Amino acid sequence: MRGNTRLRALMLALAALAATLVLAACGGGDDVGGASGNAAETAEPGPVEGEFNFSNWVGYIDKGDGGTVAEFEAKHPGVTMNYNEDVNDNADFFGKMSPLLDGGESGGRSMFVVTDWMAKQMNDLGYLQAIDYADVPNVDANLKQNLRSPEFDPDRSFSIPWQSGMTGLLVNEKLAPDVRSVNDLFDPQYKGKVTVLTEMRDTVPLMLKADGIDPADATKQDWLDEIDKLDQAVQSGQLRRFTGNDYIQDMTNENTVAVIGWSGDIELIDNEDVTWRMPTDGCILWSDNMVIPVGAPNTAAALAWADFVYDPKVQADISDYVRYVSPVQGIEAVNPQLAQDELVNPPEEFTANCSTQPDPPGSAEDVQEVTEAFQAVITQ
Amino acid sequence: MTSTRRRLIPYGLLGPGAIWLALFFIVPMYFMGELALRTGTFTTGFQSGFEISNFSDALSGNTEQFVRSFIYAGSATLIALAIAYPLAYAIALRAGRWKLLLLFAVVAPFFTTYLIRTIAWKTILADESPFVSLLQTLHLVPEDGRVLATGGAVVAGLTYNFLPFMILPIYASLERIDTSLIEAGKDLYASSTQTFLRVTLPITMPGIVAGVLLTFIPAVGDYINAEILGGTGTSMIGNVIQSLYLEQRNYPEAAALSFTMMAAILVVVIVYLRMAGTGAFMGDEDERD
Amino acid sequence: MEAATATASAPRQASVPSRAWAWLRHNALLIFAGAAVLYMLVPILVVGVFSFDAGNEQGELDFVFSGFTLEFWREAFAIKDVTDSMKTSLELAALSTVVSTAIGTLMAMALVRYEFRGRTASNLLIILPMATPEIVIGAALLSMFVSYDVTTGFNTLLIAHVMFSISFVVVVVRSRLIGFDRSLEEAAADLGSTPLTTFRTVTLPLLAPGIIAAALLAFALSLDDFVISNFNSGTTQTFPLYIYGASLRGIPVQVNVLATMLFAVTVVAIALVLWQQRRAEAMAAVRPDPEV
Repeated sequence: MRGNTRLRALMLALAALAATLVLAACGGGDDVGGASGNAAETAEPGPVEGEFNFSNWVGYIDKGDGGTVAEFEAKHPGVTMNYNEDVNDNADFFGKMSPLLDGGESGGRSMFVVTDWMAKQMNDLGYLQAIDYADVPNVDANLKQNLRSPEFDPDRSFSIPWQSGMTGLLVNEKLAPDVRSVNDLFDPQYKGKVTVLTEMRDTVPLMLKADGIDPADATKQDWLDEIDKLDQAVQSGQLRRFTGNDYIQDMTNENTVAVIGWSGDIELIDNEDVTWRMPTDGCILWSDNMVIPVGAPNTAAALAWADFVYDPKVQADISDYVRYVSPVQGIEAVNPQLAQDELVNPPEEFTANCSTQPDPPGSAEDVQEVTEAFQAVITQ
Repeated sequence: MTSTRRRLIPYGLLGPGAIWLALFFIVPMYFMGELALRTGTFTTGFQSGFEISNFSDALSGNTEQFVRSFIYAGSATLIALAIAYPLAYAIALRAGRWKLLLLFAVVAPFFTTYLIRTIAWKTILADESPFVSLLQTLHLVPEDGRVLATGGAVVAGLTYNFLPFMILPIYASLERIDTSLIEAGKDLYASSTQTFLRVTLPITMPGIVAGVLLTFIPAVGDYINAEILGGTGTSMIGNVIQSLYLEQRNYPEAAALSFTMMAAILVVVIVYLRMAGTGAFMGDEDERD
Repeated sequence: MEAATATASAPRQASVPSRAWAWLRHNALLIFAGAAVLYMLVPILVVGVFSFDAGNEQGELDFVFSGFTLEFWREAFAIKDVTDSMKTSLELAALSTVVSTAIGTLMAMALVRYEFRGRTASNLLIILPMATPEIVIGAALLSMFVSYDVTTGFNTLLIAHVMFSISFVVVVVRSRLIGFDRSLEEAAADLGSTPLTTFRTVTLPLLAPGIIAAALLAFALSLDDFVISNFNSGTTQTFPLYIYGASLRGIPVQVNVLATMLFAVTVVAIALVLWQQRRAEAMAAVRPDPEV
């Protein structure tokens, strides 16, 4: 008999679920999300002291004794820097931060690092403060010419590149010697041995380029067509997975033979046969940028930090450690050998064919539509 | 002690927990329900409303993932049961002095983080790993086939990660068995299979029911195994919810989908309990009082 | 006992293969159990082995065993974020265990000991969180915190962890309470002990194994949680959250070292408990037992 009470209880639960919904419908509430339309403030300079919280991606600096952070603290003895590696993923980080930033708070962070498109999105929502270049003379002097006016922030008014990078091909030269264009990933002989990135703004533009379409001129339909092509590759079993950096493990263990990947990660793959290749169709150039959020405490230290890492001497150490493309000119004078590495300091002809990372074209609704289509393919 | 005070005692004992659960489980569920009915987009803000279509969208666009989640979770639950029952039986009735040690071995995986375990499986199941070569030699996996990045790997991961939830309740129910009953059963039915089917199994049914539910429910909603061990075309409903929440920032549809999943799980649970014919979802051992 | 019967009933003159078969049949269950336990421990073994791996140039896991080294064990706590997140996780697990075990034990007592109005509803309240997938709980909690402008962080994590642990605590403690001999408590009451003293001196010690098991489970659940924490952590970094982030870029070998350490510490702790118990049993055996 008791069993029946229990069943009734569960039925009750179902009813309760339904009731919650009805109740929810009656009780209105404040709007959730939406642009707050804050007028952009400008980050305040001032004496460099006190606690400084900086959030960056994992593995983007040498944090050890005598590393860059320690040097910064030595230069500004009044500062205690907390270098946090808690940015894992742009969307993830945004999801965590937007409720805070919406209320004009930064959760104690003075500065954090996000990729171009995310910086733009945050700025559009009024989440970021403007930066006055008079406060960061090193940046003004040493930022590479080709990074000074990206489409998303033509005056670099709210973003300063931390490191840049190229999205291209990671290839196992023994197992997939012939993969040179992104289109080669769709060659049936590599069925189930290739992956592409979950980062839509890398994967789709690379495919567009391989099909001879300049991402800068691409239409929404072009994006949707490429997404459709991905869909077919999923259906046929050509694509093994969609990945973030976890392609590192797959390439190391030779689960995959050729993937779309980021230039600096070649350092992290312990397999001699794997190299990073510039696709014949060109690469995607992107930057991860230092930005100062609204409500940030101690913006003076943040500005000092940005200025500090744009000192070529300091930058050379960072570059040597991470091996991404450095946004700072003048490191060749400090470390000539490093400057010859075309992954750190790519010569102009090397990247001639590359495009900066684009957003899907059109209004916010169009971007949403493309995003939804891409996510639908990933979560199949 | 006055009778009023005595009558109030259970409420006093229950109070803190009930309040905690009401505030931090029931109220959030209400918010989720409210969110599930909103309209709008992230950039324009979500206005409150009564957008039932969020539910139909959630369901119609993701039928495949729904079905897959239930199949994966169902398979993982069956496999876990097949492994857990004999193991729990051995620990409870045959292990003797090794009992606690074995029991610990069963709970041990809990103490190395979920993600670390799952990533370790990725190493074990890699295409060129000795284990997969062995499977290929035994023709359990085709010569050019793989284990990783398939539905099979996801099911294996689910099975592994939720196995302790299956073992513990079954162990608990076996542990309380009066062994003289089994002896009596042997005298009565002679064959040990008969004894098992007619005596042991019915007594341990509450444990099985609890174990099945505790394995099945979290497995349906899981997305980590599909993300780490799965490939293309192996996404579960949890992956879709995660994508809606974090990548697409379509909170209303994410909430609607979450609600739909919960309702679906409850329906399955009700049907299952009807069929299992016992109301023993957790702690109903008092049925036998 | 069973073993003795089986050998005795086996025909004496049986051939070697058939005897081997009989042995196999008899021990099949134990062999299976051994294999199953092995299966449960294999990933942990892999984690342990790779804590001695040289890793790549940056000291991160590279998933091929490239050389044995003790370096990362010596430098186990060298990476501040790994250590800090581990500390946060242990602190969180300890706090949530204490709170949820206390609250849950009281609830279990109410449910087993008393008949009262609203018992079914209470049962339902306890079952529902267990019947709700983690991702739903995590997202729902976040929706609420966002609506009330609660800044997510350690406190919201604690709230969430206590919440999902309570149900499990209730279930475990309740199973111990059922079939609990109440005559001892009554005897204490007859001897004039107050209800509180009875609870402290009689009920609690008898319930201890159940409470310890519940606490252990709550601790493990908290330490292990990723999904709910991911939604409600704000800027707080727990160990699983750190690993998730690191797994997207490169996991320091120290992660495996700390995971192995944690495992080793639990092994030792459990072994101590076992040893203590054995000793207690041995001592009890010395005293004459009137029932035998």
